[in-house]
Amino acid sequence: MSFNESQSQDIEGATTAIQSQPDSKTRRYDRQLRLWAATGQSALESARVLVIGASATATSILKNLVLPGIGHFTLLDHATVSPADAGNNFFLQGTTSIGRNRAEEAVRLLSELNDNVDACADTRNIADVLASDPSYFLGFSLIITHNLSPVLLTRLADLLWENPSSTPLIPVRSAGFLADFFVQFHTHEIIESHSETSPSLRIDKPFPALLQAARALDFDTMDSTDHGHIPYVYLLVRTLDDWKATHNGLPPQTHADKQNFKSILAAQKRTPDQENFEEAIAQAYRAWTPTVVRPHLVELFNDVTLPSTPFGHLLAALRSFSERPPHVLPLSATLPDMKSDTESYVRLQNLYRAQAAEEREQFRALLPVPLENELVELFVKNAHGVQLLRGARYGALDTAPAKLIMYLDNLTRETATHLALSALDAWRSSPSRQNGGPTDSELREHVLTLIPGTELGKKEFSDAFGEIVRAPAADLPNVAAFLGGMVAQESIKMITKQYIPINGYCVVDLVDTWTGVLES
Amino acid sequence: MVMSTINAPAINGSHYPDWEGRYYHIDQVLDRPGPRTDPDSFMAGEGVKNFLRNQCKVLVIGAGGLGCEILANLALSGFKDIHVIDMDTIDISNLNRQFLFRPKDVGQPKAIAAAEYIMKRVPGVKVTPYHGKIQDKDDDYYMQFNLVICGLDSVEARRWINATLVNLVDPENPESLKPLIDGGTEGFKGQARVILPTVTSCYECSLDMLNKPTTFPICTIANTPRLPEHCIEWASVLEWPRVKGETKIDTDDPEHIKWLCDAARARAEEFKIEGVTWSLTQGVVKNIIPAIASTNAIIAGMLYHLVNSCIHCSLASCCNEAFKIATSSAAYLNNYFMVIGTESVYSYTFEHEKRADCPVCGGESLDISIPGSWTVERLIEMLVEKQDIQIKKPSLSTTKKHIYFQAPPQLEAATRPNLEKKVSELVPDGGDVTVTATTLPFSLSLRITYT
Ligand SMILES: [Zn+2]
Repeated sequence: MSFNESQSQDIEGATTAIQSQPDSKTRRYDRQLRLWAATGQSALESARVLVIGASATATSILKNLVLPGIGHFTLLDHATVSPADAGNNFFLQGTTSIGRNRAEEAVRLLSELNDNVDACADTRNIADVLASDPSYFLGFSLIITHNLSPVLLTRLADLLWENPSSTPLIPVRSAGFLADFFVQFHTHEIIESHSETSPSLRIDKPFPALLQAARALDFDTMDSTDHGHIPYVYLLVRTLDDWKATHNGLPPQTHADKQNFKSILAAQKRTPDQENFEEAIAQAYRAWTPTVVRPHLVELFNDVTLPSTPFGHLLAALRSFSERPPHVLPLSATLPDMKSDTESYVRLQNLYRAQAAEEREQFRALLPVPLENELVELFVKNAHGVQLLRGARYGALDTAPAKLIMYLDNLTRETATHLALSALDAWRSSPSRQNGGPTDSELREHVLTLIPGTELGKKEFSDAFGEIVRAPAADLPNVAAFLGGMVAQESIKMITKQYIPINGYCVVDLVDTWTGVLES
Repeated sequence: MVMSTINAPAINGSHYPDWEGRYYHIDQVLDRPGPRTDPDSFMAGEGVKNFLRNQCKVLVIGAGGLGCEILANLALSGFKDIHVIDMDTIDISNLNRQFLFRPKDVGQPKAIAAAEYIMKRVPGVKVTPYHGKIQDKDDDYYMQFNLVICGLDSVEARRWINATLVNLVDPENPESLKPLIDGGTEGFKGQARVILPTVTSCYECSLDMLNKPTTFPICTIANTPRLPEHCIEWASVLEWPRVKGETKIDTDDPEHIKWLCDAARARAEEFKIEGVTWSLTQGVVKNIIPAIASTNAIIAGMLYHLVNSCIHCSLASCCNEAFKIATSSAAYLNNYFMVIGTESVYSYTFEHEKRADCPVCGGESLDISIPGSWTVERLIEMLVEKQDIQIKKPSLSTTKKHIYFQAPPQLEAATRPNLEKKVSELVPDGGDVTVTATTLPFSLSLRITYT
């Protein structure tokens, strides 16, 4: 999608107030408001994020959340700054930080990035907090951990999963050039997915006012200027209507039909390069591509247990709406730009707006409970891209050998890397571990406990194990930066409920520079 | 590997005792190779550490969103001699991502503020800023660096540095080959690549991959506006010059934006078009690209990763005084990385191939075929618009004569009558035309045939 299109889509929401230079906060956040608008920003500003462990990766993530202005963050870490920490963490002040509490030092330097963010250093030991004060964790809107010991992580993940409020959790693991992270949530509702697929113009199923307007045009009496400015939507609707009248009510079916349809359009030109007809020919696929409910929505509609949230009610109404003929979603009022004179374009836009408003009222009548106008409008406007993600519990994949083996066939390097990181975790908590790092065979042994009897001969395994053996405890500055960006992006998507977050594990390998996703 | 050849003293004035354990993390990957490490180009241990921490000199072009991130990565990774060039000053809208700057720095030169901040935060690193244009510097200046990292938002500046580094290559001298590592972001999307001048594809080779800038036909703007953007373009392209004469628009001046916004709103109202806002006006006239800290961090992480690969290769090639290692290294094979984070996360890496007719690194003429009826003016219009050429204000000549020159004024006046003439009257079928522009340090050779 080009930038211009995304700008135009906001037309509907534009105000008509007198314009003057925005306040300093709006100017500061200008470049991100163009991505998630005021609604996303206010969601960020209400968010309370907890990050556990003040590693280089953790502070990189936080930096990318403090800069765009999250409301509050707490950094929980009881450790003191080591010489190694002072060497790889930008949010520690060299040797002066050594020996001080890691959370306090990092919070001090992170806070400098944005005065609007409320920050807190918690110097307690996570193990103690989990044991004595589990409700503490439920007061946050998102929790992120980095290389947290698997025992504590499992306890935290279970606590959050079992609580009905279900705070999302993002556990991040990294070793040298390898990393993965997971997003744990029960359900995630997205209205503004910023889908790159634009909504249907319903050329194939024109609403009565559109068909009537298209039919009413008298091409023959038009002068060449007017003829050159008929919007392509009319050209397609009219030509298709004529076509159907002579083809048993069916649109073009075969390749020959489609070529024929295009020639009929071309034959109506008065000059060889008449732009509006060129546009109609380029957009002719709209005449034979049926407007249908997109598969991801059909799947959602078949989901019998829609949540009893406003979003669930909206989905239920959308399902009812699409069950009635002509089996489509409520019309979108957004019209793309096209060759036309101003008057014709504005008239066409008004036709779409009027029909969209009418269908929105029909939609509203189908709601099981009344909901506020603004929400209904936002939902209908974005209906073609709404999503309801169903997530999984952290660690569930590692106890599902059949799924792991299936992934191993299709996503070999991603699965092998994920398993190698799980093996490193297991090695860390094994009582028999030696100082230093694990050996290749120790890692293999741990992987075999997850997928017993599997052949680990593939190169992807030795590649992943070899990297872990090489740098089991390395939190590299550039990997930290990379993960800091990736995890912050997912956090922003979760908090704003805009765009579509990862559902599952994202696996990263910066030796061969790839990322991949193992879906939940 | 011949490691003993590299043992230069520490850089003047910046020697700082690295504390024990400072590089605990990064040494894990510098001390030993991994299973996929290319044995020809990987230099393990003290040699590479000494090179990186005491000898390597890196240039960062751009101290904006990517520049801030890459400076921090380089400093933490042990580079001690970093140079940074940026011609901009800090604006309040930079603060949502350019994390080396604070509100009190607004109005200060980016290069200087960034250099000071890095040196304050990371002990022992020397960052030398230059507040100015890359075009101010000559070949000797660029020759002193081991590699160049570029986080620019200007296509023109990237074309300039790319061509400059390609011109710098002397096949007899391995040190003249300066890897160029380039990145860019837009919203949740970004890309990073490594260019080994003359060996891999260059920036110019991939010009056609750029997003085409949004332009509106002048007749739409003048006669048939439909979108609020059309009204804004009308205000800035037609109405401003009509009313304000010679005064140029300063897109950073709120008074100017207000004037354009008001003019665009009045026109929009007249045509019953909705949606002209301050933010949209600013977006259109400044061609604003959305930008966030997280995407910059991802791409900077990638850029540093590419730096690391280049360091190993160029070090290996210097030690062996051989072009071969640097140029055959796997590090350059998959030279282009892209990531899209709007829907889950999708990334991919591929090899972008050289173009034989690339005007910078290719050597062959670019074949173009045009109707025999085209005037010189029409050809110039095409050169400005064509995605893989995009030369603003081109001057044209053949080996025998000037066709059209944009400057100096006398030459422009003398060649202006040619604009109306047919190209075919001036250039024979299959003839060559040389295209130059003051903004580009190279010329483009066209072979013209007529349809
Ligand atoms: Zn090239």
